[in-house]
Amino acid sequence: MSGARAIMAGALFALSTVAPAASPAASPDVPTPYLPSTSVAVDEMLRVASVAPGDLVADLGSGDGRVVIAAARDYGARGLGIELDPRLVEESRANARKAGVTDRVEFREGDVLTADYRDATVVTLYLLPNLVERLKPRLLAMKPGTRIVAHDYGFSEWKPDRRVVISKTYLLYVVPAQVGGRWRLRAELPDGPREYDFELKQSYQEIKGGAQAGNGYLPAFEARLEGDRISFVMVDDSASYRFEGRAVSSLEMEGVVRTGLGRDLTESRWRATRILREGPTDRES
Amino acid sequence: MIRESSIRRAASLLGLLTLLVPPLVLAQAPAFPFSAEARTHFDVPYVPTPQVTVDEMLRLGGVGPGDFILDLGSGDGRIVVTAAQKFGARGMGVDLDPHLIYQSEERARAAGVEDRAKFVQQDLFKTDLRQATVITMYLLPGVVRKLRPHLLALKPGTRIVSHDFDLEDWKPDRMTTIRKNVMLWIVPAPVAGRWQVRVPLPPIERQLELELTQRYQEIGAHSRLNGIPAQVWEPKIEGERISFVVVDSSDRENEATLYFSGRVDGDIMEGEVVQGVGASRVTSRWRAVRAPR
Repeated sequence: MSGARAIMAGALFALSTVAPAASPAASPDVPTPYLPSTSVAVDEMLRVASVAPGDLVADLGSGDGRVVIAAARDYGARGLGIELDPRLVEESRANARKAGVTDRVEFREGDVLTADYRDATVVTLYLLPNLVERLKPRLLAMKPGTRIVAHDYGFSEWKPDRRVVISKTYLLYVVPAQVGGRWRLRAELPDGPREYDFELKQSYQEIKGGAQAGNGYLPAFEARLEGDRISFVMVDDSASYRFEGRAVSSLEMEGVVRTGLGRDLTESRWRATRILREGPTDRES
Repeated sequence: MIRESSIRRAASLLGLLTLLVPPLVLAQAPAFPFSAEARTHFDVPYVPTPQVTVDEMLRLGGVGPGDFILDLGSGDGRIVVTAAQKFGARGMGVDLDPHLIYQSEERARAAGVEDRAKFVQQDLFKTDLRQATVITMYLLPGVVRKLRPHLLALKPGTRIVSHDFDLEDWKPDRMTTIRKNVMLWIVPAPVAGRWQVRVPLPPIERQLELELTQRYQEIGAHSRLNGIPAQVWEPKIEGERISFVVVDSSDRENEATLYFSGRVDGDIMEGEVVQGVGASRVTSRWRAVRAPR
C-alpha cells in the first residue's frame, strides 16, 4: 500500500517537473528549446524529402537557418524559415548572406502555428511532440503530394510513408489527397466501357473499398494512395484490372487501367467523378 | 498435433508429390487414407491455380523474355505455358502425375509454345533447381521445409514465387493480396563474415572493417572506421545487391554520412559510395574482401 503510494508520488513528482518544460501546450510561453540539427541531420532531412531545384522548402522552427540555407545552396531549391526568436532570424539572414543564397531564401519571425507556408512543397520540422501534433491538421490540409519530414518526433495516428534511421529517426509523410467517399467510375475497357459505383474509405493515406457491379461487389485489392497518386486492382471475369491514376481535384480522378500480361497487355483510360463527399480523414470513416 | 504429423507423413509417403493441392485438402487431411497404397496422385484432388493468381505470380516475379521458369508441381502446366506465351520466357514444369504431364504438353502445343515450355515427370527433389531464374510453387509446409535449404543455396537473385503457402521464417521480399496472397522471395547472397573495405574517398582513404551477420535477407552489421567503432544504419540485401550507411564521426565538427551500395560476388563486394548530398556530394568506388573463415 505505502509502496504503491510512494511510486504514485514519484510518478506525480516526475510529471510535475518534466511535463511543463517539455510541453508547449501546458505552458504556451515556453517555446521549443533551440537545438541545432547536426549537418548530418540537415542532409538526411533534405535527402529523405527528395528535395530538387523546383521545390520550396519551409522549415518550421528554422533556428539559425541551416536547413533552409542547405536546401538553397546544395539542392538549388528555394527556402522559407519560420522562427519565433528574432535574434535567430537575424543570424539566419546573416548566414544566408555568407552562403550567397539571399535571393532564394526568406526568413520570417513568427509562430509556426499561425505562419503562412502554404506554397511550400516540402516542410521540415524538428519540434517537440506536442507542437508537432498541433501542426498536424494544418499540414494534413496542405496540397496533396506535399512532403513533410519530421525529425525524431512524428504525428500520432498518421503513419509515415517512409522511415529512415541513420543515427536519428527521420519520418517522411506525403500529404494524401482526399479520396474517401463515393465515386462514379467509368473504365474504357478493350471490350467496351464499364461503369461502377465505387466507394473508398480513407484514414490518412490508407484506403480501402470496392465497386458495386451488376454481378456483385468487387473489392479493390492493393489500394494505395501517395499524395494525389492512387492505384488499386479489381478482379472481374477471371481477369485483373490494374488501375493507376491521380486525383486531379477533390471531385475527379483519372488514369490508366491495365489488363492482361506481357504481350497481351492492354491499356485503357478510366475516370471517376465524385458522387458524395465524405467527412475529413482525421476520423476513421 | 495429429493433423500436423499426418501431413508430414503424407508428404513423405507420397514421395513428396507436388500437386497443386488446395487449402481444402489441409483442412481435410486427417480424413485421408494415408496408407502405403496412397502413393499416387489419384487420392489427392487436383485443383488448378486460378488464372488471375497465375498472372499475379508471373507479374510479381518480374518474369521477362530472358527468364527460365521452373514450376514445382506444375499441374496442368498453366504457369509455364502462360510464361512462355505472354512473356516469351522459357520454362519447365515438373510433376509426378503422367496424366497431368500429358495434359500440360497438349496445352503447350495448343498455345504454340512447345519449344519453350517443357514438362517432365519427376520428383522435385530430383530436379536441378539451379537452371531456373524464377521458381514457382504451391507446396505443402512439410515439403517447403525440406526444400527451403536448397532454395536458399541457389544463385543470389533467383526469384521464388508462391501463393498461400509461405516459407515460414524466411519472410517474403514482397507480397500482394489480389484474392490470394502471392509472395516473392529473392535469394540473398551469403554475406555473413568479416569484410575489409577500402573506401578511397578524398581527402583520406578510409579503412572500414565490416562484420555482417545474416538470417535470410535480414542482415545485422557492426563496423570500425579507421579503427573507431562506427554504427551501420539501414543495412539491406536484395539478391546480390547490398546497401548500408555509415556515419563517419571521426571529425566531430564535420560528421559525414557515407552511403554504400554495391554487388556481392562470392568473397568480393564492390560498388559506389556517396558522401554528402545535393551539390556537395562526392562519389567514389569501394571494394571489400571477405576474410577467410
